[in-house]
Amino acid sequence: MKVAPIEYGDRKVYTVSGFNRGIADWLTRLPTIWVEGELTDLRRQDRWQSVFFTLKDPADGSCLGVQMPRGQFDSLRLDLTNGERVHVYGRPELFEARGEFRLRALSVERFGLGDHLAALERLKRKLAAEGLFAAERKRPLPRFPRRIGLVTGNDAAAKRDVITSITARFPPARLLVAETYVQGPRAAPAIIAALRELCDAPEVDVIVLARGGGSFEDLLPFSDERLVRAVATCPLPVVSAVGHEQDSPLTDLAADVRASTPTAAARLVVPDLAELLERLARSRAALAGGTRRTLEREQRALAQTHERLRRAPLLLVERRRAALEQTAGRLRALSPRATLERGYAIVRSEGVILRDTEGLSGGDQVDVELGQGGFGARVEETR
Amino acid sequence: MNAEPGFEDAQRELEEIVQRLESGQASLDEAIALWERGEELYRLCAAKLDSAQGRIDELARRVEAVKP
Repeated sequence: MKVAPIEYGDRKVYTVSGFNRGIADWLTRLPTIWVEGELTDLRRQDRWQSVFFTLKDPADGSCLGVQMPRGQFDSLRLDLTNGERVHVYGRPELFEARGEFRLRALSVERFGLGDHLAALERLKRKLAAEGLFAAERKRPLPRFPRRIGLVTGNDAAAKRDVITSITARFPPARLLVAETYVQGPRAAPAIIAALRELCDAPEVDVIVLARGGGSFEDLLPFSDERLVRAVATCPLPVVSAVGHEQDSPLTDLAADVRASTPTAAARLVVPDLAELLERLARSRAALAGGTRRTLEREQRALAQTHERLRRAPLLLVERRRAALEQTAGRLRALSPRATLERGYAIVRSEGVILRDTEGLSGGDQVDVELGQGGFGARVEETR
Repeated sequence: MNAEPGFEDAQRELEEIVQRLESGQASLDEAIALWERGEELYRLCAAKLDSAQGRIDELARRVEAVKP
């Protein structure tokens, strides 16, 4: 296809579209070839026609964008992950609308583990053997941190997400943000410096290390041995909120807790104020209710005791009186008076009760006691 | 009788007297003396109970008066 230029005098000028079409057309003359590299930044979605990834040269980091029809990619069933070394069969192509050069892939073959991944795997095993990731190293996070240290990129969406999530959950939260590089060769030392800075700052009780998702390369600093060690030995508890769920930088393993999202990080470092207040209100209501019930119980008990107090003395007197009357009844039943009431009499001589006539003679004075009253008498004769 | 005994002492003595009389071992003279003493103790106890009841009633009236 021939692309015609516009002519301004003796100058031939091509439109962007025309230029792109010309280049694209020319590229089709190149042969279909094999390219070797590390697969990174793999983007695949069911509703997309194509799968996208970047091939990276492990030697110098040169990158090549690759597009492949999703059906072909899926039919290979390679289950590729970022960092794996692959051979891609395809031809160069220009995406005309954007002037973007890329490799249109027809096939992909796995070619061993990527260097980075292998190196990372070795580092991971080494640090694990040292016990850097051991569960017993993990420290609990403070329930109410006085200040929260946040290490993040200076314009990172991750920063905004974490701050928003934390303050939404716990509005009085105080944050100290250390902005730093979060990708590239300077990132690891910069993050280590930021961690130290936050540890030295007053009142910081916990540190959140936040970075949004990115390509495998982008997240590499978070698997840098120096940074991983710094996180593991950080004097303050560290929450690692790096990348997405499927990413697993080594800082995630070295941190005290791993958070898959900024919201998850917020849940870990601050309590939910609304929930806290609600629980407090519930406790308070329960306290008031419990106290009232206790009070009512005590009041009832006191009223009962009071009632018993009121009744007790009378009861006591009545019991005593009943006992006394019973005793008195017995006393009266036994008393000689009862005998006298039946018509008997007691005769005394000089105060001594007479049982026989011995020593008694006519003319003696005696006293006679009857049931009611008595009288003096003189003895006529003894028999 | 010398010093007037307290209610409990008087009651105890009265009970002893009744038991002695009930046992039937007392001589007639003794029985009469015991009986007279018993009656005396009864009057004493009854008077003490009356007095106690009076004070309780008085106190109850005062408590009632204080109540709202």
